[in-house]
Amino acid sequence: MLMNNITLWVRRYVTVYGIIMLCTFFMCLLFNPTSELPVVTFFGRIMVFTLIALLSLAVYYSKDELTVKAWWVRTALHLLLLEAVLLPLAHFWGFWHSGTDILVYAGFILLAKALWHLVDYGLNAKTAAQINERIRKNRLEKRT
Amino acid sequence: MRVTVEQIDRTREEELIVRCYDPSAAWVSSVTEAASDHRTICGWQEDTMHRLRLTEIFYFEVVDDRSFLYTQAAVFEAKEKLYEFERLCAGSALFRCSKSMILNAEKIDYVRPSLSGRFEAVLSNGEKAVVSRKYVADLKRMLGV
Repeated sequence: MLMNNITLWVRRYVTVYGIIMLCTFFMCLLFNPTSELPVVTFFGRIMVFTLIALLSLAVYYSKDELTVKAWWVRTALHLLLLEAVLLPLAHFWGFWHSGTDILVYAGFILLAKALWHLVDYGLNAKTAAQINERIRKNRLEKRT
Repeated sequence: MRVTVEQIDRTREEELIVRCYDPSAAWVSSVTEAASDHRTICGWQEDTMHRLRLTEIFYFEVVDDRSFLYTQAAVFEAKEKLYEFERLCAGSALFRCSKSMILNAEKIDYVRPSLSGRFEAVLSNGEKAVVSRKYVADLKRMLGV
């Protein structure tokens, strides 16, 4: 169980880190293609962003199993929390400056969250396919 | 393969230990299934007690601190708590699938992912159960994925 949890969180960390990097690349490409970044500082800050994003998943914590409606409510809350924490931090680190920038940045946070759920769904679809294949094989084995 | 059958007296608990190279092998699941077929649990419908085989049970659920057993088409109340039932069905096809449910893997028709990051298991009687991501690894291990 502990190993499963470690694997799950490492996978989440790598996925979120990758998504943030991808979003940053497109944000710079579209809105600031000539920007130069100090590599070590930049990667370090992205790691902090990733850690914050993962810590904020505590919003989903519940003693009981979440219903679909409760999950959507918490997803909206999670997005608000991400915007509320990441936007000021990004401003402090000089990732955005003007009024238009904040809209673009907020939009990319929303995009990153949507992408995270899509990646998650894709991985789960792969797992479900493996399980279904195994169920099918087990049934065939039992018949023969 | 060496097969050992040891007769014990009634004061000791009957036990089956399978030593194998591959726990997901078909013969291992056949043996554990046959053994769990003999395990029973009491289910209550009003004042009537029914003795149910573990293999009959589709899932065990705790709702508002009350435990229920679900079979193909009937619901029974159980006295056991979730952890007690979990202990009782160790080694069988029943596994913990969420915070409040234990599901019979043998009764799963197929699973599908949901956007909420969990899985929905469609059972052979058409009912649906939620499988948390946390417990999906147990299902995979049980099926030999």
